[in-house]
Amino acid sequence: MRTGLPIRIIAGLLLVFLPAPLVIVIGASFSPGSVLQFPPPGFSLRWYEAVLGNHEWVMAFVASAGIALVAAVTTTLAALGAALALERASSRVRSVAETMILAPLLFPHAALGIAFLSWLAALKVNGTMIGVFVSHVVLCAPFAYRPIAVSLHQIDRSISEASEILGASPRQTITAVIAPMLRPGLAAALLFSFIISFDEVTVTMFLVGPDFNTLPVKIYGHLADSADPVVAAISTILIAMTGGLIIILDRVVGLAIFIDLEEGARAHT
Amino acid sequence: MTRAIWRAMLFVPMGVLLAAFFATIISLFQSSLSTGFGLYLDLAVDRGVQVVLTRTVVVAVATTVVCAVLGYPLALFLARSRNRNLWLILVISPWLVSIVVRTFGWMVLLGSRGLVNTTLQALGVIEFPMRILYTPTALVLGLTHVFLPFMVIAVMSALLQMDRRLEEASRILGASHWQTFRTVTLPLSIPGLIGGASLVLLMATGAIVTPLLLGGLRDRMLGTQIYSEIFQVYNFQRASALAVILLIVALVLVAPLRFVEARVRRRLGAA
Repeated sequence: MRTGLPIRIIAGLLLVFLPAPLVIVIGASFSPGSVLQFPPPGFSLRWYEAVLGNHEWVMAFVASAGIALVAAVTTTLAALGAALALERASSRVRSVAETMILAPLLFPHAALGIAFLSWLAALKVNGTMIGVFVSHVVLCAPFAYRPIAVSLHQIDRSISEASEILGASPRQTITAVIAPMLRPGLAAALLFSFIISFDEVTVTMFLVGPDFNTLPVKIYGHLADSADPVVAAISTILIAMTGGLIIILDRVVGLAIFIDLEEGARAHT
Repeated sequence: MTRAIWRAMLFVPMGVLLAAFFATIISLFQSSLSTGFGLYLDLAVDRGVQVVLTRTVVVAVATTVVCAVLGYPLALFLARSRNRNLWLILVISPWLVSIVVRTFGWMVLLGSRGLVNTTLQALGVIEFPMRILYTPTALVLGLTHVFLPFMVIAVMSALLQMDRRLEEASRILGASHWQTFRTVTLPLSIPGLIGGASLVLLMATGAIVTPLLLGGLRDRMLGTQIYSEIFQVYNFQRASALAVILLIVALVLVAPLRFVEARVRRRLGAA
């Protein structure tokens, strides 16, 4: 069945609507004026100089990237452990545990921000890097668990049983048999967690302090009191970096692993 | 037995994360009740809170409906397209930019001297700039842009999972395109649609950044109200109580959708 004309018109308009802010941001970043506007009235690189010459922006970027990296690795390891532990649990234990792991998805972020603030304040670590890190690890957990559980489920159990029958210890079975087959799930978990942590602002804005800030929260703070194109220049740099990262990922591991994972999930359900 | 214990041990790190999560929720309830239950009674009769609550529900529901109405055709187009991966990149491309910056892009477009107003004026449609920014319309527009990709992906994966031969069978048996869509395609994609809707509804209810930037502090939503209790009024207890109310509102809105989704899935499974 071919899709009808009205559907193609709606789809076409939306495919222009969705990437629109990308175009606006990139265009506005080259504006010589001191107010963010689109189309830009001319061409200049002054806002790029302003960003790269400013210690605070660079520090916020380093903090965000560092937290996202460590949070992604931590969450992925915790999710991997949980998925392996639940693989052979009874279906009742498994469904209870999975409901709990996915529970943070059911809570609105504005409420979670206050919940973390109240808990971290009681522990006297609000406004620190540790507090933000803990909140990100908790928020990323459901997103890391799902792809790993899906790809673990796809592995034919007879292969790991064969490994055990042939005398491998559980540890050997995991490192030599299961781990390589889990690669797509692990890659997806790392990528999702990194993106979520790096972009998180709703919860994080309550948890940063005078000595510690993340890039998205700093961008929000900057936008709240000035409208210069600094923010557009930062975003354009990030777009270029993400684009570069995707190309490198494609060269090194191949983006096909994500599509394979998606198709595997479909075949599984 | 030792192997079973070894396996169970692997759950410990995730167990710690879950414990931390539930500790934050308990802590939230405690701080909202630090001076007893009276605060909730005060909030319940507060006219301002009622207005904010109503606006939150209306904006969140409107955003969800708009996302469903626009997202479904786009998902159908993607599911049937040969170049699906290429279009999918366009759909998720907004995720390359921080949600803060994306929302700011809309401020630039919708402002009184923004592209939308200047274009309409140049075309002679309007004489004076319209007020779009800081209205509920701008809010729904901005939230729709942020959450539409989630809806599209949820519906698309439901459409990709269905057996295309069912549509062919319907066509061969003489049903029109529209009949086939209404009696075969749409019912089979309902779980994806409801799944996407509950996701969007939940995220729209708990949004802060987009309402702050596009709605301003005048047209507040619950998220904005919580933000201002913390950063402007410094009333932590009131913020906690509002956060608990937000939790309950989100649950009340999303629970019926989850219930319907589970029923539909069961019926589709049985059929």
